Amino acid sequence: MTTLQKKAKGQRPRYFEDPAVEKALSITLALAGEVSVLRDRLDSIERLAERGQPFGPAAVDAYVPDAAVRAERDRRRDLFLDVVLRCVHQEVEGLSAQAENADYDAAIAAVAG
Amino acid sequence: MFMDTLDVKTQFDHGLLPRLEADDRARQEYVKSFKLHLASKVAPGNRMAWQAHGETGGDRKDVRRTLSHDPFFRFWSSLQRNSQEMMWKSTQIPVEREHATLMGRGKAVKSAGGSLRLNPDLEIPRYHRHVDIHCMPGGYHTEFAPDDLANGAVYDRAVYIYAMGRMGPFNSDIGDTAIAYLKAHFPDLAPRRILDMGCTVGHSTVPYVDAYPGAEVHAIDVGAPVLRYAHVRAESLGKAVHFSQQNAEHTDFEDGSFDLIVSHILVHETSHDAIRAIMRECRRLLRPGGVVIHAETPPYRDLEPFDAFMLDWDTRNNNEPFWEASHEIDPRAIGAETGFDPDAMFEGVQPSAFDAAEAERTRVFQGGDFGGGGMWYVWGGVK
Repeated sequence: MTTLQKKAKGQRPRYFEDPAVEKALSITLALAGEVSVLRDRLDSIERLAERGQPFGPAAVDAYVPDAAVRAERDRRRDLFLDVVLRCVHQEVEGLSAQAENADYDAAIAAVAG
Repeated sequence: MFMDTLDVKTQFDHGLLPRLEADDRARQEYVKSFKLHLASKVAPGNRMAWQAHGETGGDRKDVRRTLSHDPFFRFWSSLQRNSQEMMWKSTQIPVEREHATLMGRGKAVKSAGGSLRLNPDLEIPRYHRHVDIHCMPGGYHTEFAPDDLANGAVYDRAVYIYAMGRMGPFNSDIGDTAIAYLKAHFPDLAPRRILDMGCTVGHSTVPYVDAYPGAEVHAIDVGAPVLRYAHVRAESLGKAVHFSQQNAEHTDFEDGSFDLIVSHILVHETSHDAIRAIMRECRRLLRPGGVVIHAETPPYRDLEPFDAFMLDWDTRNNNEPFWEASHEIDPRAIGAETGFDPDAMFEGVQPSAFDAAEAERTRVFQGGDFGGGGMWYVWGGVK
């Protein structure tokens, strides 16, 4: 076991006023990642069980998903992120609507004569 | 070589990737999915946020002034920065566990005729000691154990995840693409000796062995761990490359000893002075008629101001302090400064050689979307 350096040398940018918000977001994202890790593990167990194969820890570690299973997991992770990042996607939708409204104002101006 | 059975959607296991447990693989796949999700579904909101300020003109610095305090941009930046930190963590875990096994693999590999020459006294340049480039803890040079190759293993896997697999199973897309440019624009070039500068784990170096059969391929880097890894990786792929630990600003090779000098995403990890010293060194090392070529992402002058701003994200958010200035390099001007004939300098964009990733590309150049643009920028000169 080798212990590697945990933090990259160099000042980390601050994105929020309160440093606790930075940490809370980092922890939330890591936790979401671990949910996805568990979901992939469960998927392996389900697939092994369906085939009547052992699904203990060694069998799960040895299971290598094929291209079709990987593509399925990619789609599920993307949906998972749609759910987890819901508030961000809502904001994108809002910004998009704002951009369209701006275009509509321009449309009114264009026909105002 | 492996093309009949090659899985283009998986990193090729060349024998030096650490064994992954199910959770390691899932954690790395999550980071890859997270990055692709951010690039394709969240990052586009930045342009709308910019337009919502009523802005559509100006240069990239105007875009920065508008967006640097925008809450959407700041939140996306934080997500992006976290994805980068999570990537390193996800690659470190299996390397920490498997490091001893990886170090042992080198001894078992059958020689392909390459070599490794390390210089423990080499001074690591300031631009690599100051911050850990692209947030990789320890950079290319830090050693955590005797005969360490840990950060070689971390980097090799992280490059695959960072590019979301869009640089191919061998991470070789930048090398392959530079070669495609050379074959198209210098069809008569038949190099006998090739030097790759800033080779790290040799993922861009190895393609030159096949592209120019019979050429002697050398590769240098300042970091011992990446070179130890590169050497075993190349040998295990059956490719003879001569790796040595040297600073590209001043090497120990003789004058005129190379016909072709190449680099791949080296330039932006140097400095204003260093890239000029490197160009002077290239001029010294090239035989008359020899070619130097550097591959990077496109210069800002070729991009819309908003796109340039998004590509510039790495400068302040991903420990790439020379990223911005390196994207303003003018090949003719730097050639004139460093002893090349300005008329013998060239630049161009070349479509990415790895076309199997077309469906996953965003076709834009933006921070955190490496390889998404589907093309690489090359510049260089002929001596």
